[in-house]
Amino acid sequence: MSKLVLSGLTKRYGSHAAVDTLDLTVESGHLVSLLGPSGCGKTTTLRLVSGFAVPDGGSISVAGQVVSSARGVVPPEKREMSMIFQSYALWPHLTVAENVAYGLKLRKLPRADIERRVQAMLDTMQLRRFEARYPAELSGGQQQRVGLARALVVEPKILLLDEPLSNLDASLREEMRHEIRRLHDRFHYTTIYVTHDQAEAMTTSDLIAVMRDGKIEQAGAPDDIYERPETEFVARFIGSTNILRGRRVGEHEADCDGLRLVCESGHWPEDGSAVVSIRPHRITLSGAADGSAPGTVERAIYLGAQRHYIVALDAGPKLQVLASSDVLAHEGERVGLTLPPAHCRALIR
Amino acid sequence: MSLALNTTRRLRLGHVDLSLIPLGLAGLFLAMLVLLPLGWLLAYTVTDESGALSWTNVVELADTSLFLEPFITTFGIALGVASLACLLAVPLAWLVARTDVPARRLLRGLVMVSFITPPFIGAVAWVLLAAPNSGLLNQYYRGITGAGTFDYLFNIFSAAGIIFVMASYAFPYVFVLAANTLDRMPHDLEEASAILGGGRWHTFRRVTLPMVLPALLAGFIIAFLQAMTQFGTPAILALPAGFHVLTTKIWSLFQFPPKAHLAAACAMPLLLVTIFLLRLEKTLLGRRGYTMVGGKSGSPQLAKLGVWRWPALLLALLLLFVTVLLPNLVLVRASMLRSVSDPWTLETITWANVPLVFGLSNTVGVLKNTLVTGVVSATLGTAFAVLIAYLTARRAVPGHQVLGFLATAPAAIPGIVLGVALFIAYTRPPFQLYGTLWILLLAFLTIEMPPAYQQMQAAFRGLNPELEDASRILGAGRMKSLAKVVAPLLKTSVAATWCFVFIGAIRELSATILLTTSNTKLVSVLIYDLNEGGALGGIAVLGLVLMAVTAVVVLIANRVAHVGVMPDGR
Amino acid sequence: MEVTRRTVLAASTIMGFASAAQAQRPEPQPLAPDLVAAAKKDGKIGWYTADDLVLATKVAKAFEAKYGITVQLERSGAERIYQRIAQEYASNISEVDVATTSDVGHTVSWNANGWLTPFIPAEVTKWPAQAIGSNGLYIVDKFTLVTPGYNGRLVKAEDAPKSWNDLLDQKWKNKLVKAHPGYSGAITNETLALSRTLGWEFYEKLAKQGVLQVQSATDPPMRTAQGERAIMADGAENTSNRLIMEGAPLVLIYPPEGVPVVAVGSVVMKRSQRPNAAQLFMHYLVSPECQAINVANGARSFDPSVTEPANWTHLSKIKLLFNDPNDLAKEAEEIKKRYTKIFGV
Repeated sequence: MSKLVLSGLTKRYGSHAAVDTLDLTVESGHLVSLLGPSGCGKTTTLRLVSGFAVPDGGSISVAGQVVSSARGVVPPEKREMSMIFQSYALWPHLTVAENVAYGLKLRKLPRADIERRVQAMLDTMQLRRFEARYPAELSGGQQQRVGLARALVVEPKILLLDEPLSNLDASLREEMRHEIRRLHDRFHYTTIYVTHDQAEAMTTSDLIAVMRDGKIEQAGAPDDIYERPETEFVARFIGSTNILRGRRVGEHEADCDGLRLVCESGHWPEDGSAVVSIRPHRITLSGAADGSAPGTVERAIYLGAQRHYIVALDAGPKLQVLASSDVLAHEGERVGLTLPPAHCRALIR
Repeated sequence: MSLALNTTRRLRLGHVDLSLIPLGLAGLFLAMLVLLPLGWLLAYTVTDESGALSWTNVVELADTSLFLEPFITTFGIALGVASLACLLAVPLAWLVARTDVPARRLLRGLVMVSFITPPFIGAVAWVLLAAPNSGLLNQYYRGITGAGTFDYLFNIFSAAGIIFVMASYAFPYVFVLAANTLDRMPHDLEEASAILGGGRWHTFRRVTLPMVLPALLAGFIIAFLQAMTQFGTPAILALPAGFHVLTTKIWSLFQFPPKAHLAAACAMPLLLVTIFLLRLEKTLLGRRGYTMVGGKSGSPQLAKLGVWRWPALLLALLLLFVTVLLPNLVLVRASMLRSVSDPWTLETITWANVPLVFGLSNTVGVLKNTLVTGVVSATLGTAFAVLIAYLTARRAVPGHQVLGFLATAPAAIPGIVLGVALFIAYTRPPFQLYGTLWILLLAFLTIEMPPAYQQMQAAFRGLNPELEDASRILGAGRMKSLAKVVAPLLKTSVAATWCFVFIGAIRELSATILLTTSNTKLVSVLIYDLNEGGALGGIAVLGLVLMAVTAVVVLIANRVAHVGVMPDGR
Repeated sequence: MEVTRRTVLAASTIMGFASAAQAQRPEPQPLAPDLVAAAKKDGKIGWYTADDLVLATKVAKAFEAKYGITVQLERSGAERIYQRIAQEYASNISEVDVATTSDVGHTVSWNANGWLTPFIPAEVTKWPAQAIGSNGLYIVDKFTLVTPGYNGRLVKAEDAPKSWNDLLDQKWKNKLVKAHPGYSGAITNETLALSRTLGWEFYEKLAKQGVLQVQSATDPPMRTAQGERAIMADGAENTSNRLIMEGAPLVLIYPPEGVPVVAVGSVVMKRSQRPNAAQLFMHYLVSPECQAINVANGARSFDPSVTEPANWTHLSKIKLLFNDPNDLAKEAEEIKKRYTKIFGV
């Protein structure tokens, strides 16, 4: 287990900086996810960390020792890292057991030792009965577990996961998220987890780094990122939200098209404008007489546990509201919304 | 367990990545392979015997009988070959790929068989079949119709005869391209057109044809190039008829006293036309060239031929019988006759041709040379193709685009031109290779590099790079990953490429003819020698032996490749 | 004294090969017993020959059987062999130990290049003088003629051409097959002799007859025997003789205008890596055993001890046309060039 530090890391392709002076510290034994849309530089970052790519600037150090800089990199095979690939990258010409044993054989361990560790890992992954099969004969979830087994069995210093669940169907994905966290809790490898799925990141990570345009937009614990986004990009990327734009009119107050909002937290842009985020489920919907903001229900969608409303405020903005399924309103009905200051957050951009 | 990362020395080493050194050397070798001979070719074109700069060679090209006449003849023949090859190949490809004609696999297989027959052996076989008087077909014609002693149906010693023979050995290439395209063409587009009410003809004209057209044109160009650059067939058929094509003319310039400077000048236009046509083909085809017929995915909607199923099959079989089987059958027949026009009876059958061929004390040596150069160039060529394709597909070194270009560039060098270039380049220090098998090896490596490279590149493109990354991150170096992961996964592609290069080397005559000596003779040249001496029975024996050996080697290569490889579903 | 005797002998025979007096004529060498052992030590011999393929193969096999020395046989047309040796020497390759050419002009240029070690096996001194060419440059271990001929099944004897000029008759258009002086030394001999006797007009007219142009002088007899063409405009008599003996329906014509004689000369190359084997092979070429093989395969021999088959046309009944080796050496290039211009290939 080793602390991983990326500092000022830069990678350019032509004039485009895929990774731009990126700083990130992964504490020993922590699982950090790099979260962002495609093209944000998260996969490039992972390739830099794994040693497949050479940085143009900055450095990567593992346990205090530099493994990558513009002057050179320690090649991937010498880094004692493991990686889980989007495609699983299982070798189709090797059986499950052979796939798992591959890294151990390279380490020239005694045969019996390899056998023992492979069996133990296959047990952990519940793959024992598939050991003689070829990857093509396994389901997607099983293949994923072989990939994990292969990566973990070598007891890497650092574990890298590149969108490991994106090829699985939804229910399996859900299950594997928990599996990955469970394994992390058990083995405590220093881990970087690349994903574009915020739910995946929230389930698995100690720390989430939201990336945009080769930079880290915001890093923090999952609840931190969710409850206290700093920018519109982060607020929108982590779960759905309502964004309201206007002017700052007081210490904690914004005016968005006539709608007055008090924000108890957040930071304001310096130019006097205001960007306010409020999550749909934080808005209270009540009768037309109640609430601070009157409006009309434009759409009402029943989701089972909840009801989803789109409300056009008289002041202008349209807001999404998630309410308990007990709170019933019809399309066209006049309602009043309450926007609690505790949940209105000012964003810097 | 320390990573030992703290020294800058280590970092620098890591940056250079020692495994790149052999790869870099391969690149360098490739550059030499192509640039050295071409450099000399250019130098010879613009200098005279004394080595002084001079345009006399180029000026001499204006001499009609030296250059212009053969050039025009070549062009006409190539046009004919390309047209005929397309005419034969495209309907056949359509039948096999898009209709419910029976025995489609057999038909495909038969086309592939014709790759084994070197065109120069085919040309000799067609002399046996269709020489105006002694040709079997003409004999039968006279026998059946009662025509006069000197009447004939076919005359193989004519431009038409040459076009026919060349087309029957060029059409498999067009077939592969066309069948490939038809196989891959999304069927739903045709179906969509049909659903939208397009009639069958309308669908064909508006949907199928435009999609196949680029492949068709590319096939046309490939056949054209083959016809333009081939030496064996015109040498066997055109010279007796009293005319030259460009390749035979260039070759004749190497007769005593050899005029290498003039030959270089003559080769230049051939080189330029080839480059132009290949550019054109690339534009038309994108990057699909050369890849072999692969398996089909999904079950396509096949056109129902109805009552025409069996007539169509018969027609296809007839075509393949005439172009593929008949020449080989006549070789079997001729191999057992003292005089090839004798009737085939118990009295006339003889083994005399076998001792004649193997009595030539060097025949066994020649066979050995052929096998050795074939196997070595196939092995080295495939290894290079794998390395270069790897470097370019993985963008592993700076300048990999240049490597890719160098590997494909020899496609633009016709065999005879390369022969001239290699002859000039390697009959002088520092690389005095003429008279050794090395020069032949270099020739075959150069000639076969483009198709081998393109096949391997396609294979690499079909291989997820993550498979290799997974091996490296687990601790295997680049080379080890290549050996343990990439190589086994590419086994079948590697075997296919190996066979391709091997067969290519066996078939090669146009460069070989200028580069062999008595000690380094290959079967192709020996057959050519025998043909000049008129020993057709001997050629038949040798040709059959050559094809049998080729078939055996190819079978072994495929067997080796399939041992222990992956279960079903891959 | 020796010289005088031979000159007299030459004059007294019907043959008239040039044998201009030259100073460097080597002493004839008897077959010394230790030569065989030394030759076996050399192990093999490279023989580049323009002989008929069947004949050459038989000679090589017989030599191998007798001495256990491998013959690396390179059989091609004389003009090809000439070019090949030049090309190989230019690249410092010396695979050839003994060369046998049907264009003895080659020996003149080889000698001028200093490529020869003149060698005369003593056996030849018992033969007519012309068997030693150019005063010892080469030995004529066999000779043959270039004749027209026809397929007896396709052409009746009374219709057949009788002379060279008969070949120009319209009725033979597209029915002729002809060999090439650019390949065959025999045909170079013929072209030199006939262009002098009949003039180049003969070839200019022949070129309009639509001949099937093959390369080797051994090929027209085969094509004619096969029936591919009814008439051969020219062909090596030795191959024709052999095919006739094998039962081919081939009939030879000995035109009254004259028949070109082809002396087939053999030499030892100076750069030979296996000089002993080369000398032994030269001895073998003139041995009665080898001469018997030559004649059995249709070639003519100087060896008085070998008798020609009775059905061959005797030399005394043929008007023979000889070429001087120096003329061949001087004019061969021009002849080939002119021929190519006339015939197109």
